[in-house]
Amino acid sequence: MKHYSRRNFLKFGAALPLALQSLDLRAATAPATKVPPKRIIFICNSLGFYEPSFFPTKRGDISTSPYLKEMATREKMTVFENFFHPGMETSNHDSEKSFLTGASSPEAANFVNTISLDQILAREMGGETRFPFLSFSIYDRGWGCSWNNRGVAIPPMYDERQIFDRLFGKDDLTAKRRQIENDQHVVQCLYRDMEQLKRQGGDASKIDSYRTVIAELEEQLKHEEFWLKTKKPEVPNTLSTDQEFAFSTKIGNLFELSKLAFQTDSTRVITLSLDWIYGAIKVPGATGGWHTLSHHGGKADTLARLNRIEVDIVKHLNQFLSELDEIEEGEGTLLDHTTVVIGSNFGDSSNHTCNNLPTIVAGGGYRHQAHEVLEKPTPLCNLYLELLHKHNIDAGKFGRCEKDLGLLKG
Amino acid sequence: MSVCKTTLVFALGFLSLGSPVAAEDEVPALFEHYCFDCHDDATKKGGFNLEKLLEEGDFDGSLMFENLLTGKMPPAKKEQPDTKEKRAVLDWLAKRKAGSQPKTFRRISRHEFVHSVNDLLGTDLDLAARIPEDRGTNDFDSSRKIQLSREMLGSYFAVADEILDHAFPAEGFPAEKTWVTNKVKDSHESYNIYHRPYQEGVLFSWTRANNGNSYSFFYDNFDPPVAGWYELTFDAMKVAEFEEDVSLQVYAGKYYYADDRPQPQRLVGVISLGNKALKSHAIRAFLKPGENVSVHSYSRHTFRKKNPKEGAYIKQLTARGPVTDQWPPSSYERVFGDLTMEVEPREVVENPDFQTNLQKIGGAVTVSSFQKGMEKEKMQDGSNRTFWHTGFQPTVAKPPHYVILKNPHGAEIEGLSYATWSGGNGNGQVKGYAIYLSDDGKSWGEPIVEGSLEIRLANEQPIRFPKKTTSRYLKFLVTAALSLDGKSIASVGKLDVLTPLSNLLETSTITVASTAPEDLKRVIRRFAGGAFSSKLSEEEMAPYFRVGLEGLAEHGDFVQATKLGLKAIICSPRFLLAPGEHANPSYTKAADLARTLWLSVPDEELLALARSDQLKGVVLREQIDRMIADPRSRRMIRSFSDQWLNLRSLNKVTPSLKLYPEYDDLLNHYLPIETRAYLHHLIQENLPAGNLIDSDFSFLNQRLAQHYGIEGVIGQEMRRVSFPPEIPRGGLLTMGSVLKVTTDGFDTSPILRGAWISKNIVGTPLSPPPESVPALEPDHGETTTLREQIDQHKNSKTCYACHKSIDPYGFALESFDATGEWRGKYKIKQAHPGTFLYRQAGYYKWGGPVDASGEMGEDKFEDIFGLKKLLLAGEHKVAYNFAKKYFEYAKGSKPNLEQRLHLWDFIARSPGNVQMRDLVTEVLAYSLTTDGK
Repeated sequence: MKHYSRRNFLKFGAALPLALQSLDLRAATAPATKVPPKRIIFICNSLGFYEPSFFPTKRGDISTSPYLKEMATREKMTVFENFFHPGMETSNHDSEKSFLTGASSPEAANFVNTISLDQILAREMGGETRFPFLSFSIYDRGWGCSWNNRGVAIPPMYDERQIFDRLFGKDDLTAKRRQIENDQHVVQCLYRDMEQLKRQGGDASKIDSYRTVIAELEEQLKHEEFWLKTKKPEVPNTLSTDQEFAFSTKIGNLFELSKLAFQTDSTRVITLSLDWIYGAIKVPGATGGWHTLSHHGGKADTLARLNRIEVDIVKHLNQFLSELDEIEEGEGTLLDHTTVVIGSNFGDSSNHTCNNLPTIVAGGGYRHQAHEVLEKPTPLCNLYLELLHKHNIDAGKFGRCEKDLGLLKG
Repeated sequence: MSVCKTTLVFALGFLSLGSPVAAEDEVPALFEHYCFDCHDDATKKGGFNLEKLLEEGDFDGSLMFENLLTGKMPPAKKEQPDTKEKRAVLDWLAKRKAGSQPKTFRRISRHEFVHSVNDLLGTDLDLAARIPEDRGTNDFDSSRKIQLSREMLGSYFAVADEILDHAFPAEGFPAEKTWVTNKVKDSHESYNIYHRPYQEGVLFSWTRANNGNSYSFFYDNFDPPVAGWYELTFDAMKVAEFEEDVSLQVYAGKYYYADDRPQPQRLVGVISLGNKALKSHAIRAFLKPGENVSVHSYSRHTFRKKNPKEGAYIKQLTARGPVTDQWPPSSYERVFGDLTMEVEPREVVENPDFQTNLQKIGGAVTVSSFQKGMEKEKMQDGSNRTFWHTGFQPTVAKPPHYVILKNPHGAEIEGLSYATWSGGNGNGQVKGYAIYLSDDGKSWGEPIVEGSLEIRLANEQPIRFPKKTTSRYLKFLVTAALSLDGKSIASVGKLDVLTPLSNLLETSTITVASTAPEDLKRVIRRFAGGAFSSKLSEEEMAPYFRVGLEGLAEHGDFVQATKLGLKAIICSPRFLLAPGEHANPSYTKAADLARTLWLSVPDEELLALARSDQLKGVVLREQIDRMIADPRSRRMIRSFSDQWLNLRSLNKVTPSLKLYPEYDDLLNHYLPIETRAYLHHLIQENLPAGNLIDSDFSFLNQRLAQHYGIEGVIGQEMRRVSFPPEIPRGGLLTMGSVLKVTTDGFDTSPILRGAWISKNIVGTPLSPPPESVPALEPDHGETTTLREQIDQHKNSKTCYACHKSIDPYGFALESFDATGEWRGKYKIKQAHPGTFLYRQAGYYKWGGPVDASGEMGEDKFEDIFGLKKLLLAGEHKVAYNFAKKYFEYAKGSKPNLEQRLHLWDFIARSPGNVQMRDLVTEVLAYSLTTDGK
């Protein structure tokens, strides 16, 4: 095993075994005055929000937003109006693929996605925690908000119990260690076979694509091996078991898990995809197909039901933000050290339009502006680029945006 | 590209396009002549300006191609190009698209992975759900757009371990036990209204089983020691005079108490009770440790003991297992072949008494205090209905509260297993604990582990020690407990030790009596030959030999070393990326065929033909026939229908209980089975493709027949049922599964259903909806009628251009509600007072009548019967659409236009109506040729 850690070191350069870096950092910083780390979460409400209920009617005044007026953390939020993703003028539900990547024409047959914002952040911020990032969704659909540097979907976790166990459950350490060792042997075997396939003139693109994936897996095994030495945090299971509003419960639990993960510093980067275009769901006050209702066509009765679903989402969001804000950390609260971005791939999902995307940035310690109406339609990737800068990533561009507009103050 | 030289004209007016190709330079003139009337710079009808596109030259012609091919354009009332001209334009369009397919490669899907490994090892584990959904937003698993990610590869590694450990467990095989029980544990005291003691067992009335977790009745007096297959035999009978069978749905899952966290239960089988004398009914179930079996009874006559003398009588359950297919299991023979094995006889234990692990290692418990009636033994009696409680009367025992477990023989202990007692209000349940060890029972030292426990969770919570211990005394100290009244109390439902399986004595091991590297290499090479569908050189095999040999050197265990080599093989790029880079193209064909038809690897017969490069021509077609006839092709049917018809999302739609109170798990279980049985039959029997649209039969059982309003089908086994002409079923459109999956379980939307059928069944090409058009949604209230909605589409030219070929399908299907049941009127949901309480009558009133009429072009239809007739007139289009879908399923990419022309020509050439197996065979054979690649 020794010989390949060196090889790996040479091969991966900057992205090198994160665990090793973190070892040094921990030794250096642990006992001294601890600066709370920065965290970030992206939430994609893929069916958007009904615009007239979401955006403040009076410019600059959140209390004139029917949805947001009750938010406990109004002082620590900015609602942005007039963001869009270029290249998605007419799109379908595939637009969610580009929510965090900004890649254009996601519905096209030859579409290839690009890396998502959270993955760039995770490279920088992920090394010091047990999970470099976490990605959640409501059900098993194999993709959510997170896409790797080859534009391949990173399958999100969706089962609350399993997520809780991954984060906080006790592992059989002996078995886990044995399994990691086994896997490392297998990985070496596969490296050797790939050398051979290549020598024999096998399909290079195929071999390379596999090599990249197995190198990532090898890295992950090292990371896991390192973290075997550290006990997982002990956390009481506070997940709700309410079955009456199972859908609502699920969303609440995913927020709860996000909070716990940040609070225990198990990860610093999370994405959460709230997508459901299947059967009817039940939330307090309404039952119906979320997707069916989202095509409301302006009808009052339909809107009333859709409103209940969206209010329920906002309720969970409010609870998440206010709980983060109740947890003291360093000079401020956990919310002050966590940038929360809530948005959608649809501006108006009734018509499948992707302009004026509902966007909120909360927490993160910025001087918030309550409600910021951008003068002209602005690519959302401008904000994404700025978020990279805010997290010490010296990127020249994100997507096709090269300009940091300085929208977040402080 | 193959061009058919003869022109065939059919009486139905369906023309083959195989006529001589017109000169290429005629094509612009043809466009101008036949299309520019509507689609030139000036008119650009439907926003389509062909004149401009042709000038610019860079456009996707596939929609034009489809419209022309299927006769949608030019419209019927306009002048039509003759066959020759049509062919010229199609060829021209196909040629300009040819070669534009991106260079991609196929990887295997999660289902293919699991089936292949099962077939290679002779196991039967359903682990696909452990690998993330790998389809993305594409219709087909095979999509070449999907690439492997680290997370997917990681889950392949994990699943490989799980299957290999199951096939070759390091600890050996636990004894095959037989338990007999007639005791039912319901998950709530009040559930006893659903059953009553009867003769030697229990009589069940109907309890609604919905989503698998309401009203659970567990047979839990047995404990599966390892994950494996168990045979469950119910001695049961129907107790009733009515004609139909009573059904028993059997679920597996962890016991839970109704007020605790529900534990998901999965349906493992249905027993149809028609017998009025006791009979043994056996099913097989895969169970994991901690899981038990629960039952629901269903009959429309026996709701909640309406008649307390009727129902399903279960005398007893006999559970036997873990069972293996033979001894030693065939996986050993398959992998190790003729190597000498040392096989211990399989232990068989009849009627084992229930014993806790602690009892098995000869241990005992003592406690800090106890309340009378709640003694320490109650933690060890196998039930979490009974429990130990610290003393509270006459005086409240003072803390510390603890349990000491004695381990007199120094057995290895890995941890403890704790469970709350089920019921009560959580008072006294342990929230925090600390574990201490001692060799003398006096000096305890520091705790080895501390932690928290969940309250109100009936199933077992394991407490794992940092390392195994053989200490003689273990102390479970309660550091926190729920106290509703402030008193210091503690209670425990179950407390036991976790021990390695080897402590439990009755395991039988199988070892391979060899440590010879040559033997190991031979084993690994043989397995690789099957997995890679190929023959690899010594050099190519070297890395796989090496990983095995290293393992052998390290651990000295032949079987465990083999597992490493096999794991590397099934996680390798050669296996996962379905390379098909073989010296001889027959190997590639064998691999492709096996993947498509069996979701697996080739069998010996295919490999033998591949070795001698014979997979072509007649031999190839014979092999396809053989493979379709093989039972493994049922996997293809399932996989293809899950993908093509989106039946995999069937369970994501939960019909409203208020509107559809009769919809239950049993029906949900059989809906997709009907569709699979039907498709299987069409292909096996080589029936005409028109059966996709309509037929006078389907495959039904008692429950489905009830749903469809057909009398006289008794028993839950599926069988072919013929329909009288007034029954609107037959064909895919009117199957409950399709009708359900095209709704949200609440309302039906003729637009969404219409678009779905248009795309998936009929294959009408659709353009995306234009921007800023408000959508129309179902509203069955009294104010808007469906007619008014139709008119809204008709009133707008923009809408109507497309919706005239979408909506009609949906209109005809309005006669079917969101569960697929026939309806003459709409239901309007009514509010229920207070908390929802299920009732058989539901909560709805009847609204307006359904109008299922519509028009397709010039043709009007009154209802679904009329629509099916119209669709059948274009049977070749349905066959063409099926062929395209099947091609995409097999190849992972849509056929390009040249390939589509080939498929169309084949259908056109077929004498009479094209038949299903011929169609599947042709698509497969074609897809293996160079043109079809």
